[in-house]
Amino acid sequence: MDAILNQAFAGLSMASILLIVALGLAIIYGSMGVINLAHGEFVMLGAYAAWAMQSFLGFSILVSLPFIFVAIAVVGWVVERGVVHRLYRRPLDTILATWGIGIVLQQLVRMFIGPESLFVATPTILEGNTVIGAVVMSNYRLFVIAFAVAVLAATWGLMTRTEFGTRLRAVIQNREISECYGIRAEKVYATTFAYGAGLAGVAGALLTPLVSTTPSMGTYLVVDAFLVVIIGGVGSLIGTAVAAGAVGEATALFSMLMNDTLGRIAVLLAIILLIRFRPNGLFPQTIRR
Amino acid sequence: MKRRSFMKGLGATGSLAITGGLATPALLSGAGRAYAQGGELNVGLLFSLTGAVAVVERTLHDAALMAIEEINAAGGVAGMQLKTFIEDPASDPATYADRARRLVIRDNCVSVFGSYTSASRQAVLPVVEQRNNLYWYPTLYEGRECSRNVMYGGAVPNQQQQEFVPWLAENFGKRFFLIGNNYVYPREENNVCKMILAGLGGEAVHEEYVPLGHSDFSSVINRIRTEQPDVVFCTLVGDSDVAFARQYHAAGFDPETMPCASLTRSEVEVQAIGGEAAVGHFSSAPYFMGYQSPENEKFVQAYLSRYGADQVTHFVSEAAYFQVYQFKAAVEKLDPANITPTAIRDAAVGLTTMAPQGEVVIDANLHTHLWPKIARWKSDGQAEILVQSEARVAPDPYWAYEGETCTGEGLVRG
Amino acid sequence: MNRTNHYDFLGYVAFAIIILLGVPFLLGFDGFELNTFARYLALAMVAMALALSWGTAGLLNLGQAATFGIGSYVMAMHLKLAASTGNPGGMPDFMGWTNVEALPWFWQPFQSLSVTLLAGLLLPAAVAGLMAIFMFRGRITGVFVAIITLAFMVALQLVFIEEQRFTGGQNGLTGLAPLELPGWTVDTYSLPFYYLVAGCLIVALLVGMLVVRSKVGLVLRAIREDAARLRYLGYDVAAYETFVFCLSAAIAGWAGMLYTLVLEFASPTYMSVSFSLAIVIWCAVGGRESLVWASVGAILVNLAEGRLSDMFVEGWLLILGLLFIFFVIFLPRGLYGLAVAAMDRLRRSPRTEPPVPVKEG
Repeated sequence: MDAILNQAFAGLSMASILLIVALGLAIIYGSMGVINLAHGEFVMLGAYAAWAMQSFLGFSILVSLPFIFVAIAVVGWVVERGVVHRLYRRPLDTILATWGIGIVLQQLVRMFIGPESLFVATPTILEGNTVIGAVVMSNYRLFVIAFAVAVLAATWGLMTRTEFGTRLRAVIQNREISECYGIRAEKVYATTFAYGAGLAGVAGALLTPLVSTTPSMGTYLVVDAFLVVIIGGVGSLIGTAVAAGAVGEATALFSMLMNDTLGRIAVLLAIILLIRFRPNGLFPQTIRR
Repeated sequence: MKRRSFMKGLGATGSLAITGGLATPALLSGAGRAYAQGGELNVGLLFSLTGAVAVVERTLHDAALMAIEEINAAGGVAGMQLKTFIEDPASDPATYADRARRLVIRDNCVSVFGSYTSASRQAVLPVVEQRNNLYWYPTLYEGRECSRNVMYGGAVPNQQQQEFVPWLAENFGKRFFLIGNNYVYPREENNVCKMILAGLGGEAVHEEYVPLGHSDFSSVINRIRTEQPDVVFCTLVGDSDVAFARQYHAAGFDPETMPCASLTRSEVEVQAIGGEAAVGHFSSAPYFMGYQSPENEKFVQAYLSRYGADQVTHFVSEAAYFQVYQFKAAVEKLDPANITPTAIRDAAVGLTTMAPQGEVVIDANLHTHLWPKIARWKSDGQAEILVQSEARVAPDPYWAYEGETCTGEGLVRG
Repeated sequence: MNRTNHYDFLGYVAFAIIILLGVPFLLGFDGFELNTFARYLALAMVAMALALSWGTAGLLNLGQAATFGIGSYVMAMHLKLAASTGNPGGMPDFMGWTNVEALPWFWQPFQSLSVTLLAGLLLPAAVAGLMAIFMFRGRITGVFVAIITLAFMVALQLVFIEEQRFTGGQNGLTGLAPLELPGWTVDTYSLPFYYLVAGCLIVALLVGMLVVRSKVGLVLRAIREDAARLRYLGYDVAAYETFVFCLSAAIAGWAGMLYTLVLEFASPTYMSVSFSLAIVIWCAVGGRESLVWASVGAILVNLAEGRLSDMFVEGWLLILGLLFIFFVIFLPRGLYGLAVAAMDRLRRSPRTEPPVPVKEG
């Protein structure tokens, strides 16, 4: 029983990481239909930004989070204005272009910072473990879970409770008519893309104490995150959250029963079945696109 | 209409003419060209500068290049300058194979220095064996290979484990938890480890492999918590090792009672892990940056002043460095008119070289006699050497397999 | 055969002549250069296979590398067995190391050359066929085809890495014997080998073009434009889609077999996400609508990669990434689109000729 509870926590922890990486992707894909393969590189840039803040300014991750969000959002904005906005009528082409952007970003980091793995410290106040019964939970992982939930809530609020959210939803529903009402769709798209990129950056920064910070760290994350978005259903934040939870827990469960490799294979097969029988995801949005 | 199809054909011709033009080499390499020409000797460097493996291979590239430039600055090899051909195989086995062909066939290199992973070595093997070239491979590896065209500069399992595992069993206990990445090196090392453990009356309580690049170890850590082994025997590489070490530390395990014993963790990984998470765990290797010897002092100083004070040297970059000097010593034994890869190989056997780790010797089986050391990591990212083997340890790539020996004539069965 | 077909065939013939005569001459019949170019041709073949399903029927298979990989392993298994005849039980060395007792049943058929050659085509086709029936009977389209094929490929690659006892794991199948065809031991640095690969590419292109130009091809293009309408007209859309998927997989498997011959090993990286995306890029650069141009795209990108990495050891990847972005933004139809546009412009000047449909298959 203890083993199961511990494993359930492990699953939750994996889910939180998936969620925080996938959220930005979900927003970008859900609102613009852009399959952003450079998302992994935005995550990587976030991690490098955390490293830079730590080594040049001495900031801990927690302090630098807002700055990282802004910095990577700016990068996202530039990418959107420079490349992505030319491709809104050709969604499949965005796969190719953003893959190219990913290569470029990775190589720039490698050339100017170096290929070696970097160290970012865990915030001191989040060291240690919380023990409840036989369940041992790392404080940092608890923090990531809480943070992922908070970001989810904030994003949901942004989409449903703000002027910007209303505009964005209007543009998603019907771009032409929204423009007739004076909404500048281009601006809304750019802002959304920047927001998604900023979230990716925050995810990257949060990952640094758990993984190795290298120029290629993002490539491992983007495929999983994208699968989560598809399972959740296009444009559904709650769907993304549930999908992240399901994939995380399923991975943990299969890993306990078999091993990590077979666990991953089993999850992938489950995902294939799910997409086959529910191609619109767990929580399909009924909107006109 | 006709015109259109004509243009289409023309377009195709045009693009392919460009194609052909691009492909035509600046100098066509004829077979049987002499290797030593015009006071120059061509050597190739085949380390990934891009892609996932660049994390480590960049440092190997740097170390080997430094050795080559030191040699050239000091007058070269037997009066000849080394002309270096640098290729970037981008961490992809197919690209390794492609670039190795360039270096060996097109660029007429007399030797190629390269690579870190087993997969990349295997990708390069067909071309160096066919063309009878020489590949200097600086990395520790799983053994069970006996090519006559590879100079193996790193440790094989017996050199890393024969002292390490008994030492661990004596100091911490005989229940080992084996964790590694899912490929041939960790599996082979673990086979050897289990064999030694069986001889000592110990056991492997659990054995697990995760995909290369795997970075979430929650499940593994839960299993370690349940099993409570005496030692976590770790053959994770690169990013996986860094992630594992950090999460292991975050899980609150105490290295005093349950240390990680790694065959792959070097100063490079520890730098990314951070001293706090690395402290107290163990590694076994022939070289550590903090080793005290005049040669090492010189090596470290040269490396840091060249590439920056925040850089580190480690047991693979040390081998990448001393292998170039082994190459030099072997070439200098030869008549300049008869320099061929096989002649270099034959001249290299039995050669002793003063390396940063101590005096190393090339065995007839082309592996290297090394000085294994057991070290504990300190919080400053350096290793404290606890045990140093009393004598050089001979390489035995088929140590765990009765009836198979790697000799100067290749693999001998029976 | 109508006139457009006629011209497409002319382009194809031009390509064939260049590959067969022009390239070997330009390469100076040098063994190394021919070997390198043979590699590009094998990659051109898999790009063409992708163009067949993506360009014609609009089915983006992000797991094209999976079928390519299966083909390459089939060939490697045959060559590995040929290299292992001296071992106990004729077993490949890596199996002995992992305590496999006897040669597993699924390895045994590959001792025969003819079974191997057949399996290299049929096995990928069968795998793709099952995937296709699974997907297309459920009317899966667009990005979901891409995602399912991608997830399948990642899973398949993991299986190959996990089952080291039978597949050689991460290292793949290495230490292969040269291929023994009746009366010919294949030397991969020779002109005949180059012609073997070039011939395969040309035959595969011909097969592909015949299909594209047939009624089946017409239906497939119609599916790309509007599958629902075709269904309404009584066509079994899923059957057509399954057919083109199988054909594409068989050609990819064929290319995989040749690739193993060129590089002399099979590796699970042949089934990686990045390799699969690279195939898509080659198609996009050449022009997905034309099989020949997709092949040209693959050859050009790989050549560029080879030359750039020679000239800019540090920055070549950066330049390549920028090139891709440029192509996607400014040349969405690839070089093929560029050629068509250039010809249209030429045609519009002086003489007046009847208009030509711009859209091609």
